Amino acid sequence: MRPFNPQFILDVLPNLLPFLWVTLAVVAGTIFFGSLLGFLLAWAKASGQPRWRSLANAYTYTIRCTPPIVLLFIIFYGLPKFCLEVFAVNINSYDKIFFVIVTFTLLFAASVSEVMRSAYEAIDRGQYEAAVSIGLTPWQAFYHIVMPQATVVALPNFGNSVINLMKEGSLAYTIGLVDLIGQGQLIIAQHYGAFALETYLALAFMYLLLTLGVEQSFLRLEHAFSQHKKAA
Amino acid sequence: MDINYQFLLKTFYLVLAAVPMTLNITVVSLLIATPLAFYLAVVRLRPGKYLRRLISAYVTFVRGTPIVLQILMIYSVLPSFLNSICKGFGWEINVFDWNPILYAYIVFSLNTAALLCEVFRSALGSIDKGQLEASLCAGLTSWQAYRHILIPQALVVALPNICNITVNLIKGTSLAFLMTVKDMTAVAKVAASYGYNYIEAYMDVFVAYVIVCSAVQFFFNFAENHIGKFRLIKQK
Amino acid sequence: MLKITNIHKKYHENEVLKGVSVTVDKGDVVVILGPSGSGKTTLLRCLNFLDRADQGEMEFDEYHLQLAGASASEVRKIRQKTAFVFQNYNLFHNKTVLENVTTGLTIGRGVEKQQAIEIGRKALAKVGLADREAYYPSQLSGGQQQRVGIARAIAVQPDVILFDEPTSALDPELIGEVLAIIKQLAMEGTTMVIVTHEMRFAADVASHVIFMADGNIVEEGPPEEIFLRPKEERTRSFLRRILPPMEYNI
Repeated sequence: MRPFNPQFILDVLPNLLPFLWVTLAVVAGTIFFGSLLGFLLAWAKASGQPRWRSLANAYTYTIRCTPPIVLLFIIFYGLPKFCLEVFAVNINSYDKIFFVIVTFTLLFAASVSEVMRSAYEAIDRGQYEAAVSIGLTPWQAFYHIVMPQATVVALPNFGNSVINLMKEGSLAYTIGLVDLIGQGQLIIAQHYGAFALETYLALAFMYLLLTLGVEQSFLRLEHAFSQHKKAA
Repeated sequence: MDINYQFLLKTFYLVLAAVPMTLNITVVSLLIATPLAFYLAVVRLRPGKYLRRLISAYVTFVRGTPIVLQILMIYSVLPSFLNSICKGFGWEINVFDWNPILYAYIVFSLNTAALLCEVFRSALGSIDKGQLEASLCAGLTSWQAYRHILIPQALVVALPNICNITVNLIKGTSLAFLMTVKDMTAVAKVAASYGYNYIEAYMDVFVAYVIVCSAVQFFFNFAENHIGKFRLIKQK
Repeated sequence: MLKITNIHKKYHENEVLKGVSVTVDKGDVVVILGPSGSGKTTLLRCLNFLDRADQGEMEFDEYHLQLAGASASEVRKIRQKTAFVFQNYNLFHNKTVLENVTTGLTIGRGVEKQQAIEIGRKALAKVGLADREAYYPSQLSGGQQQRVGIARAIAVQPDVILFDEPTSALDPELIGEVLAIIKQLAMEGTTMVIVTHEMRFAADVASHVIFMADGNIVEEGPPEEIFLRPKEERTRSFLRRILPPMEYNI
């Protein structure tokens, strides 16, 4: 067995670092679109109308039963064909990152819609009632009173969803996107398979830093938003 | 959309035939991970700073890195490592002939054990301290107390989380194909590559996973309702 | 000023309000009494559409509308003329005391911020909490929170204030401070509809008492009539159970 070369772990980091932006771009794009879609789904689930609620719940349930890699392949191979036949739009030449973001948006939205829905339901109805009883419109009551409080409740679970997203997003390399892991695989191939463990350890180290960073950021955010909870 | 329905159906049966493999990996990993996780959880609750730190580091590593990376690491290192050990002992065993499912068991057990350890830790923590005290007073050793009184109660509390972890494990095994294990996803990939019927193949495997996950959730719901009886009686 | 006619409300199969009618004139302090389940809280909540009645009519100054099919804008108009004080205060957790009081003005009515703050401070001074304006509800006692709730109701200058058992969730020693404020409001001529279990207070402050049971008004009239000379047996048995025979300040 070839010897383990710890020095390589440090040496390979500069080669991996530039591709961190790809990984982060995927995460950022997914959070943006996924939160929007997740909000719509949460709205549907919390609304009184059974049709929308069932639809949103069915979507969430199905997506949560789907392995990310299967969904990624379906989107990657199926979406171009679907768009071509239904919309007559050719997306075959779109950058791979497009398909990655679409896939993980669908996954993230399902997870985040549950987070938003349960946070919304955790807020006492009396807050809404008090707001409308002094003359706010239902929307004003939601936006100014309910949503700020629901956001604080949702923060830790939202943070968890982001961390899961970062980990699942690493599958993007399987369709050829050159993100952190994608570049790692290329480097290993360049060395004919040598230094695989060292490269993977470097990648693991970077991911640990990322997840730790996200965790700490959300803890700080929670603390900042919870100023109103201090007791007498 | 021109879907090859014949292929769709044929591949679906192929995928279904691979379900036992997926369940195989899942069940074995759970069987290995659960006692391991309980052991780790209990150890973390007791004194022994260095052991606790070690376990904590292990759990943090597993939870902070993608499972894909863990698979790649184990699969790139373990076979040659085992090979060196065998050569070192002078055994004439060809490690590379071994069934790759072995590596699947290892990766998924280690991964699941870390996740379960966290769940069991909080479940054990939620059990009234008096239960342990009473067991010790009744003459049980610490380990007996855990085995007969505390762990059974913790299992019930932890059931919903165990269900979640199991469903995620099943989804995780979809990556076993990276280790050349012939699970559902691998079968679909192979079938698709013959005639480039990717969409049909992956739709098949998608439906198959939804069915399997639904069955697992149904099973856990059933278990929750029946095993948790002692809690309901207590509340009456 | 405010007149409700023939209000009906059903929860599933249970008819909670069976054709109740109430008239409130300016300056009235209407107190609604009754055993639990009598529908008194539901009646109050239907007045500003927190619950929707199945049937009934409302005449409120220049507005005349059907309770069942009221549109969102009609509901909003009625809510702009009323304010509600809740049993469990329902102060906005994420806002300071002063912000709680001014939210109805700034967001609900588009009042300019500085003006709203002045009005809010006056309201807080009235309930004796001017020095707590930067506190958060979690830092206040129950009695203090309820007083902020009342300040929040006063600040929007409603035509009528609705009180839903304002002291029921308070520790006994804190009830007095809240009742004192309500009494002061009554003496200043504020129109109020109060659901309460505090009988002595009701006798003291009410200009008109309504006794409800099983979704109907059993008896109504001035406090002397209801407390000292109740006509209906149902009223008498309720008062006997709730109160020791005592004198009332009427």
